[in-house]
Amino acid sequence: MASPLSPSRLWLMRAAFLGLALLIMFFHLIPLETVPRRWTAPDLLVAFAFAWGLRRPEYAPALSIAAAMLMADLLFQRPPGLMALLVVLGSEYLKNRAAGLREASFAGEWLAVCLTLLAITVLNRLVLGLLAVEQAQLSLSLIQMVMTMLAYPPVVLITQSVMGVRKLAPSDAEAIGGRA
Amino acid sequence: MAKDRSQRDDYTAPLRRLVLGIVVLCLLGIFLVWRIDSPRVERFRAQVVDRVVPSMDWAMAPVTGAINLIRDFQSYQRLAEQNQELRRELRQMKAWKEAALQLEQENARLLDLNNVRLDPRLTYITGVVLADSGSPFRQSVLLNVGARDGIRDGWAAMDGIGLVGRISGTGDNTSRVILLTDASSSIPAIVQPSRQTALITGNNTAAPLIDFLENPDLVRPGDRVITSGDGGVFPEGLLIGQVAADPSGRLRVRLAADYERLEYLRVLRHHSAETVTDPGGVVMPATEVTAPAGPALAPVTAEEEAGDG
Repeated sequence: MASPLSPSRLWLMRAAFLGLALLIMFFHLIPLETVPRRWTAPDLLVAFAFAWGLRRPEYAPALSIAAAMLMADLLFQRPPGLMALLVVLGSEYLKNRAAGLREASFAGEWLAVCLTLLAITVLNRLVLGLLAVEQAQLSLSLIQMVMTMLAYPPVVLITQSVMGVRKLAPSDAEAIGGRA
Repeated sequence: MAKDRSQRDDYTAPLRRLVLGIVVLCLLGIFLVWRIDSPRVERFRAQVVDRVVPSMDWAMAPVTGAINLIRDFQSYQRLAEQNQELRRELRQMKAWKEAALQLEQENARLLDLNNVRLDPRLTYITGVVLADSGSPFRQSVLLNVGARDGIRDGWAAMDGIGLVGRISGTGDNTSRVILLTDASSSIPAIVQPSRQTALITGNNTAAPLIDFLENPDLVRPGDRVITSGDGGVFPEGLLIGQVAADPSGRLRVRLAADYERLEYLRVLRHHSAETVTDPGGVVMPATEVTAPAGPALAPVTAEEEAGDG
């Protein structure tokens, strides 16, 4: 019964997470949007990091998330490190709550993710404001936050059905050799 | 969480917490270093981009082409009327071309009469747009020409018609163009024909604002906006766009360059821009007092520069 967590599958899925992050960055960088828009697309990188982290924390360890987000910071001309730091802290918070959320319905999980996204957005703007870094309009940040919240359920659906990253059922957990 | 974990994980939990702590400290450190010494980190960023983005180019070009093809498909449907329209415009253009040729000849004769010598150093390098900024909060594009091709920070980038932005951040093979629409862009300009000076500041919208106008009453929508060359940042007389007023009455620039389709950009070589290479006399007055130290200092800083790069 070692199949769900055999080392080769573990490392394969870790690599898959980084590959997914690179793919999202690739589509962001394609030079199609050279005119400023009034709205923004959801931040899929953060949504997938949370969805993977809540389902299988071992597939998206803090180091992977930090590496992916730092790369995104560097490539997308954001202040390097800040967004990565906030997303790592947010995902760790969610992972720690995952045990409680595992019994709860999806609505509870979604609410927790929304609150974390809100905290990340507020902290990001607050820190940048305190350090007098110039920022884009507040409306753009808020639109991106709301879009990411709305995009979370489809992202979870894709994560579970297409990529096969699901929560461990209690029977699996016992089979792996827990003390429960 | 621990209850459905194996016993092995109880030992790795502190290790995981340690890794998390190190990661958090590293990220915090990177952010603080960026805030304190931004140029060095930005140079590092340019090098990372220089390494990563060109390696994606083989996949990026076909995907971009395919998406643009799908977008263009709608316009194929009204090909016939578009063709008519273009023919009409072409006839008008021919008339203009004739007028321009006559004016050019006249201008050349007059320049010749006055013995005017045009600046021969104003030549350009053409680059292809590799990538955009990837985020809705910044407006910039990445070109496939860099320090290897002689590109330097601060040079102007144009499409065929108007100014697009300025170079900021050069890697070996790539360079980043901060567009006029970016919030960090501001360009000294002149509004013709009243010759009012102004600052064109981007604010993340499609039409940048016109700031610091001396007398807004003299400026009307439709007036031409060109670079003024103040401060030696840009060459003088590059077309930026036309004045337009938004519904709230603020003056903006409707940009002449076609921002919908930025594919090829010209980077103008411009050598008159002063670069700051050493601490000025205000910071180090001692070098001016001791005369022999002055010339000796210059090669040392030059070597340091070479060592850094």
